Amino acid sequence: MKKLKFYLRIYFKILSQDIKSRMSYRSDFIISMIGMVFTNVVEIAAFYITFLNFPSVCGWTYYEMLFLYGFSLIALTPMQCLFENNWNLSRNVHRGDFIKYCFRPINIFFYYFSEIFDIKGLGQLAIGIGTLIFAWNKLQLPVSLIIILELLIALIVASLFFIGIMNFTAAVSFFLVNTGFLIGTMSKFRDYAKYPVTIFSKGFRFIFTFIIPIAFIAYYPSLVIMRPNEIPVLTWLAPVFGVVFFYLSYKFWMLGARKYSGTGT
Amino acid sequence: MNRTLKQFRRFNPRAYLSLMRSAVMENMQFRMSVLVMLFGNMVYLVVIYNLWKAIYASVDTPVVNGMTFSDTMIYLVLASAQFAFMEAYLVWEMGRGVQDGSIIVQLIKPMSYGTYQLFYILGGNLFYFIVTFIPTFVIVEIITGWVIPVGVNLLYYLISVIFGMMINFAVDYFVGTICLYTQSIWGINIMKQILVTFLSGATVPLAFFPEILYRIVMFLPFHAIYNTPLTLLIHNDLPVAQVGHMLFTQFVWVLVVFVLAKVFWKVSERVITVNGG
Amino acid sequence: MDKSESIIYLKDVMKEFKILNRHEGLKGSFRDMFSRDYKTIKAVNQVSLEIAPGEIVGYLGPNGAGKSTTIKMMTGVLEPTSGEIYVNGKVPYKNREANAQNIGVVFGQRSQLWWALPLVESFKILKDIYRISDKDYKDMLELYGSMIDMSALYSKPVRQMSLGQRTLSDILAAFLHNPAVVFLDEPTIGLDVSMKAKIRNLISSLNQEKNTTVILTTHDMGDVDALCKRIIIIDKGTMLYDNHIENLRSFFGAYRTLKLNLNKRHEEVTEKVQTENLKKVRELLTEKFAQATFTYDTDEEWVSILIDESQVPLMKVLSFLQEQLKIYDVRLEEISTESVIKKIYENNENSEK
Repeated sequence: MKKLKFYLRIYFKILSQDIKSRMSYRSDFIISMIGMVFTNVVEIAAFYITFLNFPSVCGWTYYEMLFLYGFSLIALTPMQCLFENNWNLSRNVHRGDFIKYCFRPINIFFYYFSEIFDIKGLGQLAIGIGTLIFAWNKLQLPVSLIIILELLIALIVASLFFIGIMNFTAAVSFFLVNTGFLIGTMSKFRDYAKYPVTIFSKGFRFIFTFIIPIAFIAYYPSLVIMRPNEIPVLTWLAPVFGVVFFYLSYKFWMLGARKYSGTGT
Repeated sequence: MNRTLKQFRRFNPRAYLSLMRSAVMENMQFRMSVLVMLFGNMVYLVVIYNLWKAIYASVDTPVVNGMTFSDTMIYLVLASAQFAFMEAYLVWEMGRGVQDGSIIVQLIKPMSYGTYQLFYILGGNLFYFIVTFIPTFVIVEIITGWVIPVGVNLLYYLISVIFGMMINFAVDYFVGTICLYTQSIWGINIMKQILVTFLSGATVPLAFFPEILYRIVMFLPFHAIYNTPLTLLIHNDLPVAQVGHMLFTQFVWVLVVFVLAKVFWKVSERVITVNGG
Repeated sequence: MDKSESIIYLKDVMKEFKILNRHEGLKGSFRDMFSRDYKTIKAVNQVSLEIAPGEIVGYLGPNGAGKSTTIKMMTGVLEPTSGEIYVNGKVPYKNREANAQNIGVVFGQRSQLWWALPLVESFKILKDIYRISDKDYKDMLELYGSMIDMSALYSKPVRQMSLGQRTLSDILAAFLHNPAVVFLDEPTIGLDVSMKAKIRNLISSLNQEKNTTVILTTHDMGDVDALCKRIIIIDKGTMLYDNHIENLRSFFGAYRTLKLNLNKRHEEVTEKVQTENLKKVRELLTEKFAQATFTYDTDEEWVSILIDESQVPLMKVLSFLQEQLKIYDVRLEEISTESVIKKIYENNENSEK
């Protein structure tokens, strides 16, 4: 507990300083924000065009799909904001810059991710919330304190899965040279998190549930809210799986960091 | 710039060839990663397949917007394979070069920066064309029972895809030049990427676009990057006149975007010299 | 000195790496995509050393000699393949975090400070990370203030600093938590003369003030002469020398350097001309003094000849050359640390053959 307080204190100190200094580069901040929002708007437009001609897919209505879309955008935000530095890992390892994170008397994983807080992720969060509320309204889903609480838990669980996936992917750079493209490939997968897993054939439903668990980034957790009458067992198990999966990804990442022997001299 | 450097800048095919060769070699060192990327692309393709199959299964007609399920699939699969070999992250490269000042080193090489990047990137494209696009194409052919005819359309495609690469390069170069003015590489790059892939028809086939949007898109250069080469590859029943017209339009776009990129770079180059990188 | 007295203790430390055999050319790189052809190299081989509290030790060797690897092992980042390491009585790689609390590191040209933040904010974060008490922190900043002009650095973001300022800041940051040992890797590389002097002064005063042990790797013999009483030389993973710097000089005491300028005044001296000059001198001396060995080098407009006076007196060489060549200027120098070290590498090369 004392340790947690120590780490939180350091995290918020770095965070507040980082935000302060970033605000002084206002044009960068504004362009990044516009880029983030713009990207999401174009993606929603592509989504809209794709389904323009199709009223429903595999029994999922357009607004249900949109609900999943909004949910997934929110669930992706913690990775985007807090674990953004995963994207730079391969570069840091390749250039030998990772070594500088190894000299502090604190946890390397924590220290590495504390370095960057990505504010522009909040732009995505806003669009996600907007989309979710819009779809929620159209679907005429009920609202209550319990449901909001359920939503929050579902979102946290979903985030843990996505962060876990990205940790695993990024940490491969510790073991194999030039695997920077992997994280790009993997982040492409998250685009499929927003589709109901039932549209996939059996084999892929299995893969996306148990091997690359993108079905947990939106589909399983969001069923709690969207279709409360037909919740599968996996949705109930999701919180446990999420915590375990995240923990394993952390262990794998740390294993890599220890193995990383400074390939550059 | 002194005289010896200028002399070097005269066209020297050996220098360009060895530049392309070094790009191919560097990329080969990625070893495992090439295989992993192939695997990643395969999984990605299966995902699109399932998605569109489900989409088509939910309507009664087999043809939507003039495209059958297999038309759409072939188009998207090849578009993603084409994206895989064309995306060279030049905007990142240039942006970082400006940020850490290493672009200066490039500027004093005895070859213009743009030409250097063009040939370096074409070399990389060539490598990924061989390791990603050709296998994907063959697999698509085997799975679909040679739906795409093998004939003069391949030649059209090759010409067209080279134009496509050049337009893609010039767009990247133009956008990369913006990085001389702003530190926000990420924002600039992401907007470029999403715009190019969306407006060129790499994410959703242009045939699905609503009428008005379609007309606007046809006025922009981006469709010439993906849509034109793929149309020439997939359809073999196009009259020669139409093929000629398409290639000519593409060629005009190549000239236009190159001139724009070149002029913009020339105007901006001073920024580096003024700021000292 | 035994294990308990020394702050750093290494015994028979070895580190092996597995590296891929790369092949040449286009065909070779294609083969590398699938090959599993590894070879094992010993980056550090049977290194033993002990360092007492408060020492400044120069850790020298050519690139790729194993310096960084040794330091990575002492900082707990790398685990040795075999052998014992103790820093502050602890095994570093088993207690990386605890060990890090007691060491400071400035590694290469990679700043460990927060790029976008003013230095003072970086310090405040470090204060929290290392749990430095308010009083110690204040005292340390006062000490820094008495040594250098902090006002120029204090509120400047690291990314706007010059290389020299950044190095200064990194060194200050490494000493901030008053560690027992500080590792400095090439602290003066790329800096101008006055900045080098400033940094050497700072290191020396911090060492005296706080009795901090400093391990310094460098290629700059100026650093060694100004700071180190003891040097350790490593090449190809093996330790070649570990002793006081004076012993080193006296060991090669019979050596002196003769420097000749064979070029007309105001003439542009190119590398080609110097190579020619060197060749000429070498031919003459080899013929005349066949029994003696010389070491040759060029340094700007000078041709320098390292002479072992126990073999042949320097004056004899000079008077001989004066008859043969037009000499425009002459200098005599005691052997420099740099030449001594070069000599040691050479002896090592020869003994291997």
